[in-house]
Amino acid sequence: MKRKRLINIGEIPMRRKIVFIIIAILFTVFLSYLILKTIDIESEERPKRIIFIPKLIDNTNDFWVDLIAGTELAAKEYDVDLTIVAPNREDDYEGQNNFIDWAIREKPDAIVLVPADYTISLPMVKKIKEQGIKLVLVDSNVAEKVEDVLIATDNFKAGREMGRYITSYIEEDTQILMVSHVKTASTAIERQAGVRAGLGKQEDKIVDVVYCDSDFLKAYNLTKEFIQNNPSINMVIGLNEYSSAGAFKAIKEVDKDRRINAFGFDSSTAQIKFLEGNYCKGLMIQKPFNMGYLGIEKAVKLLDGQELPEYIDSGFQLITQDNMYTKENQKLLFPFER
Amino acid sequence: MLVSFSILVIIALSIFMLISLSYTKDTVLDNSIEYTTKLVEQVNYQIESYVDYMENITALVTNYDNVNDYLFQTDLDAEEFNNLRAEILTHFNLIVKAREDIYNIAIVSDNNRYLINDGLDKLNTNVNVDNLDWYKEAISNPGQPILSSSHVQNLVEDDYKWVITLCINMRNPYTNEASGIFFIDLNYDAIIDLCEANSMSEKGYIFILDKKGDIIYHPQQQLLYSGLKEERIKEVLENETGYFITNEENSKLYTISVSDKTGWTTVGVEEVSELMKNSSETKIIYFIVTIILLIAVVIITAVVSYEISSPIKILKDSMELVQKGQLEIANIDDIPDNEIGSLSKSFNIMVYEIRNLMDRIVYEQKEKRKSELRALQSQINPHFLYNTLDSIIWMAEAKKTEEVVIMTSALSKLLRQGISNENEELTILQEVSYINSYLTIQQMRYNDILEYVIDFDKDLYSEKILKLTIQPIVENAIYHGIKYKGSKCLLQVIGRSVGETIVIKVIDNGVGMSKDRFDKIFDSHKVNYKASGIGVYNVQRRLQLHYGNKYGLDIKSRPNEGTTVTITIPKKRDNGLK
Repeated sequence: MKRKRLINIGEIPMRRKIVFIIIAILFTVFLSYLILKTIDIESEERPKRIIFIPKLIDNTNDFWVDLIAGTELAAKEYDVDLTIVAPNREDDYEGQNNFIDWAIREKPDAIVLVPADYTISLPMVKKIKEQGIKLVLVDSNVAEKVEDVLIATDNFKAGREMGRYITSYIEEDTQILMVSHVKTASTAIERQAGVRAGLGKQEDKIVDVVYCDSDFLKAYNLTKEFIQNNPSINMVIGLNEYSSAGAFKAIKEVDKDRRINAFGFDSSTAQIKFLEGNYCKGLMIQKPFNMGYLGIEKAVKLLDGQELPEYIDSGFQLITQDNMYTKENQKLLFPFER
Repeated sequence: MLVSFSILVIIALSIFMLISLSYTKDTVLDNSIEYTTKLVEQVNYQIESYVDYMENITALVTNYDNVNDYLFQTDLDAEEFNNLRAEILTHFNLIVKAREDIYNIAIVSDNNRYLINDGLDKLNTNVNVDNLDWYKEAISNPGQPILSSSHVQNLVEDDYKWVITLCINMRNPYTNEASGIFFIDLNYDAIIDLCEANSMSEKGYIFILDKKGDIIYHPQQQLLYSGLKEERIKEVLENETGYFITNEENSKLYTISVSDKTGWTTVGVEEVSELMKNSSETKIIYFIVTIILLIAVVIITAVVSYEISSPIKILKDSMELVQKGQLEIANIDDIPDNEIGSLSKSFNIMVYEIRNLMDRIVYEQKEKRKSELRALQSQINPHFLYNTLDSIIWMAEAKKTEEVVIMTSALSKLLRQGISNENEELTILQEVSYINSYLTIQQMRYNDILEYVIDFDKDLYSEKILKLTIQPIVENAIYHGIKYKGSKCLLQVIGRSVGETIVIKVIDNGVGMSKDRFDKIFDSHKVNYKASGIGVYNVQRRLQLHYGNKYGLDIKSRPNEGTTVTITIPKKRDNGLK
């Protein structure tokens, strides 16, 4: 009996030892797990795949160059796998729809889109959402609100401010030609409405509106033709980069005695030269770089599950000859390129 | 012990870990600050050298006679003019070719003579030079090179590039008036190279501010210009210690160095977590070392405590055995050769000594009892002897020769047996013959009242019995039972074999005993010499000592009816306790 108890007593610490070693091992495993967890917290995340479809890719157009530069920089900042596809012409709705269709089939995490047309693009835009792909619209929108986030210039407000600015140049005999871009594009519709609202009572000074379909040459020809046919025109407003630049060029050629006051939207080098040369009295500039950058940034944040406002105003600024080289405005007018 | 010791170790290790980790963190941070400070100062110095170099180029051009002639000589003919122009252009070309970071190089005089780069670029007619900040500053600081902040260079036609302009005002040697400038537009290639080559980590960067806090260069310049990002310019300008750490989720270390020469501020930015990358490696090593130590300590503790506690357990159990008196099995085997081992050895020696002592005590007690017994045996009750001798005399006087012979020979036998036998034990045959002699004498003395019968199973004769076991009982029966009866009594001494025991009954039909007396016999611790030489209690004690508590006397008595004393002893036990 006694001897047997002796053996039992000998076994107890042995069992306790095993238990303790097991506890120690578990503790070790747990600790290592914690350590690995804290270290590997930044473990490789799959880069988000985003497809960006602007209205067009045109390396001669500063607006689109800046916008795309913005998306590319944001893609670099946020480690996004970014693909950019677009037609060659702004009014190639079908071409853009084909690209959207292709993008949907690619099943990216998000699509950032500048819809070419207010109504024609709508069914395709809807299809993006139906496939459960996050959608960020940039610059322009479509007839129905389907996008997750819209990042754009408040075109109506920008137009209205332009309209108000213009009134200070309006005299009794003022006759205005408005050179718009694409009749059915949301930006064109809203800016025109804005300018009209800004002009207020002077709205009836608008003699005609022509549409250049975002074609520099067409804008140039239309303006030239119109002025030649209507020599009494003494004010021209271009509603985007193509319309303004084309119109300004026509004015510089036709208006030798410099009666015509010109105004425009956007800020290509050509437009800036007209502003420097005082052909143009004011440029309403958007922030295409910001739009592009925010488009990608917000898409990333949507994918990260953040709540975002439905509309983000990318802002605008009226630039005149006097203030174009102020510290702040030169930053807006001229992109810093490395 | 294992648990508490391990907890102690874990606590100690954790404290060690925490202290060393925080110490490491502080040290790493201090080292990083020192390192980045040096780095940023280095960048600052390199930028100064860079500007120095550019100023040298400036000096080279402005001291070039051809340049002055070209700009200010009024009476040049077309050929001379073109020659000068060609020479200057070659000069420009040499400079621009060697330096990719020079975007524009130009001389402009206020008499509308100018030369830009390859001579094909034109001045932007829409821009009035006099309105340009850097130009104004150069004019008001004659002979001193002026370094502009980052700005858009709009002086060259059709080109709007962000540059840094280094310009110097040029004196017309003919009028001695400041009437021209030389400028170099620097693109950011060199500065980017300088800043990026010296960036410490992937997420670290360096940026440069001018005197007013406007950005000269920043890797995210466009984002800052667009208002999409902000930089802590205000904090940098207000800082006096040369560095600060931002208080945000992903805190950053800003290291600042201001150049006396250019007035520019070079700022290095580094994410603190990035600086701690090495320390997180250190952290892992600390953790691993701690865990290995922990495991080692636990195992060692387990082994050591097992080594210590298990022999202690054995020792304790042995001690318990000793407590219970089981000395024979209390010895400890397999003693490890350490402190506990020597303790166990001492314990074993102690137990051995105790056992020896106890054996000695037992032996001595036995000897004492023997000598006591011998003393008792040698002292045959003198009264009995007198009375017997008296009886012999009395019988001799009455000429009862035969009876005298019987009695005398019985007495002689009795005495011989009493004296002669040295052994503690006798055979039952010897004891029976002793009692027979004794009863012969007593029967002759009390022949009118005493009858006796001795009846033993023959096979018991060879069995052993303690000396003087039956005789004192018989004596008691006679003196206390029969003597006072007054009438004839029968004394029976019967020995029977019952299983493994021998049962001997001494039965008398004398006066018997009351309860009081009965108790007295057993309570008495003294040898009742007067009554019988050896008391009943003494017999009982001796029997139990010799044979164990299971054996001994059992007395049943009733007043006026008699007494039966039963002696029970084991068979064939010649050696007492084992």
